[in-house]
Order: sequence, then C-alpha cells, then structure tokens
Amino acid sequence: MLITKLEQIVEMLKNKPKKRLVVVYGQDSHSIGSTSKAIDLGIVDVTLVGDEKKIKKVCNEMNIDPNKFTIVNEPEEIKSGLKAVQLINEGKGNAIMKGIISTDNYMRVLLNKEVGLVPKGSILSHITVVENPNMDRLLVVGDVAIIPYPDLKQKIAIANYLINATIKLGVEKPKLAVIAATEKANPKMPACVDASILSKMGDRGQIKNAIIDGPLALDVAIDKESAEIKGLKGEVPGNADCLLFPNIEAGNVFYKSMTKLANSPLAAIVAGAKVPAILSSRGDSEETKLYSIALATLLG
Amino acid sequence: MQPIKKLDQLIKSLEGKSPKKIAVTFAQDPNTIGAISKAVDLGFAQAIMIGDKEIIIKECKKLGVDYQKFEIIDEKNDVKAAALSVEMVRNGDADVLMKGLIGTDKFLKAVLNKEKGLLPPKAVMSYVCALDIPKYDKLLFITDTAVIPFPDLKQKIAMTKYAVNMAHKFGVENPKVALVSCTEKVNPAIQNTVNDAIICKMNQRGQIKNCVIDGPLDIFLACDKEAVKIKGVQTPINGEADVLVFPTLEACNTFYKGLMLFGGGELAGLIQGTIKPVVVMSRSESEKSKLYCIALSCLMAED
Repeated sequence: MLITKLEQIVEMLKNKPKKRLVVVYGQDSHSIGSTSKAIDLGIVDVTLVGDEKKIKKVCNEMNIDPNKFTIVNEPEEIKSGLKAVQLINEGKGNAIMKGIISTDNYMRVLLNKEVGLVPKGSILSHITVVENPNMDRLLVVGDVAIIPYPDLKQKIAIANYLINATIKLGVEKPKLAVIAATEKANPKMPACVDASILSKMGDRGQIKNAIIDGPLALDVAIDKESAEIKGLKGEVPGNADCLLFPNIEAGNVFYKSMTKLANSPLAAIVAGAKVPAILSSRGDSEETKLYSIALATLLG
Repeated sequence: MQPIKKLDQLIKSLEGKSPKKIAVTFAQDPNTIGAISKAVDLGFAQAIMIGDKEIIIKECKKLGVDYQKFEIIDEKNDVKAAALSVEMVRNGDADVLMKGLIGTDKFLKAVLNKEKGLLPPKAVMSYVCALDIPKYDKLLFITDTAVIPFPDLKQKIAMTKYAVNMAHKFGVENPKVALVSCTEKVNPAIQNTVNDAIICKMNQRGQIKNCVIDGPLDIFLACDKEAVKIKGVQTPINGEADVLVFPTLEACNTFYKGLMLFGGGELAGLIQGTIKPVVVMSRSESEKSKLYCIALSCLMAED
C-alpha cells in the first residue's frame, strides 16, 4: 500500500502484529505521554527502562495507567541505556527511543563498541519523512541532523537508507533526487560532482532499487512545472520521492522551513543501527512524536 | 548528408568541392611530396611548398612528380619556414597547415606561438583520429592518440567536443560517444570514472550538445551489441559507438596501433584546437593513411 500521509502509517500498523519499542530512561512526561498514546492507538507495545518509582509517579500525574507499559527498573541514566540496548540485542525490542537521557549519552550507548547497536563500519544517519499539504506524496529526506558534510561514501549510505525507507512506505521504485543549487553538472561545485557520480551509480545498478538523478535544484526535483519549464528529461525531475541533501545546513533549513512555514508534519528516525532509533527532542510537536514512533515501528 | 562510413568514401565526398590550399612546412622529403602530390592529383588540394626550392625540385624529379603543380616558396631555414607557413594559414592565404621534414618540436613551437600561432588562448590542443576497421561497419573517431598523456576533466571535455565535431563533419548527426574505461562501474578511486560520470551528466543537461554520451564503458559495451545484451547494461550507446574517448594516451595509442597491426585498420588523424586544421604525420604511416590525413584536413577545412 502506498502511503501518502503520515496518519496512514498509524492506520496501517493497527492491522499488523505488534512490535515493541524500548524507551531509554523513559521517565519524563514527554516520553510517557507519546508512547502511551501510541499504545492506546494500538500500534506498538512499549518497554520503559528507568526509575520505576518515577515512572509510576509521572503516570499518576498524567492519569495514565502504568500497567500498559512493561517497566524495567534501572534508576541510573547510563545503566538504563545499557539495559535498553541489551534488551534489543536479546531480541526483546524492534525499535529504540530516547527518553530523558542526554543525547550524548544516548548516542554513546548506541555506539558502544561491545554492547552497542551500530555494527562496525555502519554509518549512522538521520531520515526525515515530510508531509506537505500541497504535495501528493511524502518526501523522504536526509541527512538533516547527524552527518554535517557527508562524503561520497556517506552519501551512498544515506541514499540507501532513504531508498529503503521509501520502499517500506509503499513506493515500488523510489525516485531519488541528489540536491544541489543547480541542475547543471558544474565541476567546481562538489555537490554537483557527487550528484553526477551517484546518478551514474544508480544507472549502473551500484545503488539499487531506485531511479537516481542529480544534481537537481529543489524546485525542479519536486515540482513538475519547474522541471518542464527547464526542459529536464527523465523520471526524477518533478517527481522525486527522496531528497539527498549535500550538507546538514541545506537539509536542516529545508525541514525546519517545512514545519514552521509550510505546516508540514513530519516523522524522523536514525538509521544505521540494528534497529531504528528515535531521537526526538522535547521541542517536537505531539504529532511528530507519534509519527516518529509509528515510522520507527514500521521500519523496525 | 549521408554519413561517411569508410575512409575511401572520404575522398569521394570531397569531389566537386573547391580544393583546399595546404601550406606544407619544409616539404622536401619524398614522403611528404609523394602524399601531397597524390592529393593534388585527386583534385581536393592545392599545395604551397615552403622549403629549400632546389631540394624540393630535386626530390620531385627523383619521384617523377611534376613540381610545377606546386607553388614553391624558397626558405632554406626550417624554423623560418615553419613561421612563414603558420603565418600564411593565419592570414587566410592557406586553409591547412602540414608538417614536412621538420622536427615535430620546432613545427609545434611555431603552431603554439602565443602571438603568431594557430592555437587560441586557453584552447586545449588534442588529437582526434578517424579509424576505419574492416570488422566495424562505420568509422570510429578516437581521441587522444598523440597529444595529452593524462587528460583531466577539462581536457576530456574538450577532446569529446573535438571528436563530436569531427563526427558531425563526416555526416554523423548525433554521434554516440563512449567514455572508455576498463569497466562500466563508477569507482570513486579511479578519477577517470568520476570524470566520466560528470561528462555524462553535462550531456544530459545540455552542457555538451548534439551527441549522446555514456561512460564509463568498456570497449565491448561501447562497440559490441552482443556484449551489451549479455551484460544487461542499460546504455544509450548500445554497442554502436561513433566516438571513443580514452582515459589516457597510452590506452588510445595502443588501441589504434593494435588495430592497424592486427585488425587491418586504416587511420586519418588531425591536431585539434587550432583555428585551422594542422596535419602532422609520422613517416611510418602507410601511403594510404597519409592521403587520408590530407583528405581529412580538407574536409575539416570546409565551413
């Protein structure tokens, strides 16, 4: 089924066997509130790792029945991280989520060489799914949060993450646009050079299951009319499902302008670990928190 | 215009066209005189021989060639002869420049002279050959056999454009250009394959026009339809390349020499980048190839 709105992920998950989300230091109102809602919607089971007393207290304050969660008591922050990772390694969870543990500690636990979740050589990257009211499809974009200046190898990894996520969202053969400031192959602009390489790698099947074109400016990548005016041929211009940004600034500004200026809800996860990892921030809207849980569950 | 598919058709194609004036630098060896004499007899060239008049006449007599069919300008010094012939081409007194019995270094020095030479500032000098192989049903335009050892991206783009331009002159409207490598995969560790990806994209975006470019491709995928089928590679070249742009001079040079030696190939080549065609032939080339070279320069001198 082709998913064109984030809400549809939630609907789809209701009819599927339930997966389990493990929350690291899940003892704050944000994590408890959002995961409780996900449980109530019937899309996921949740294990909260943290200080059991605190969890129960917060549940009480929020009028949430703590019995809907599986609670694993571990009052110390880093130990709760290690415990959560252990649960995933034991197969007792399909996705992991950051609670009130600091981002640094959360990442450190994920990346821990002995017990962590990131295989050696694997590249961690951030995937964002953007729903814009003016568009007939979702946009899967990266990297807006983790890799500042991806090199070619990292861009190949990001491309594969974006493609895999888009396929899970029901697009059979995603169209991936490698974004730059222009559609011309300008050898003086590194973004254009990398885009040309990625595009040819797509032609040659070195990056599979997608149609890749780039460099493409954002307008011609997503807007058919702009692509037509510029006379750009091929399947990707005007129809891109995935946007691969040349650097974090471009990607970050894009998704933030989409949320703040264009009323776009979104969902985001970190790819590259054994299971999808949610890195939600307290600043995220309720909607985004729920959709991110749904996305992680779908991909997990 | 019907495309010229074999080099013998090249000479026919010049019939009925006004002969081109060729300024020959130090035209006083039997090799040069023999080749240019034949071109004049066939009617597509007129020769201005710049060199030692006495020696030219003597060599003509030895070969049984009537020297009166040439315009002869007496200049006994080879460097001065080069400068004079280059000047004639610059002034439009001649359409083509050709090297005779003068060292290539001295000859090229005159051609490359910044104030008085034939290469515009910043232009890339390269070399393109039209290769006629009995087993291939059309000509292959190949570059660079002689000038640029390790072309960088800018040079490769220039080489591609020169070869495409030559193919156009042969009547090949939208030539298929293969950027040759040892594999069709892009390997970021091999800069040439990276450059190929960029050139392809430039072609797709209309930055290099009037041709279809794909690469990297190996010679099989460039020139053999069966190989394309077997490998299942999607390429607009589809084993029917008109132009082969090689990654290095050694590769290109070895390719054509191998085919001349073992594949019955014939060849005509020309320096590229100059404002008018420049013919530099080696003495070891066959009589036929020499004649083809001169014919090629006359074709390229057509507007």
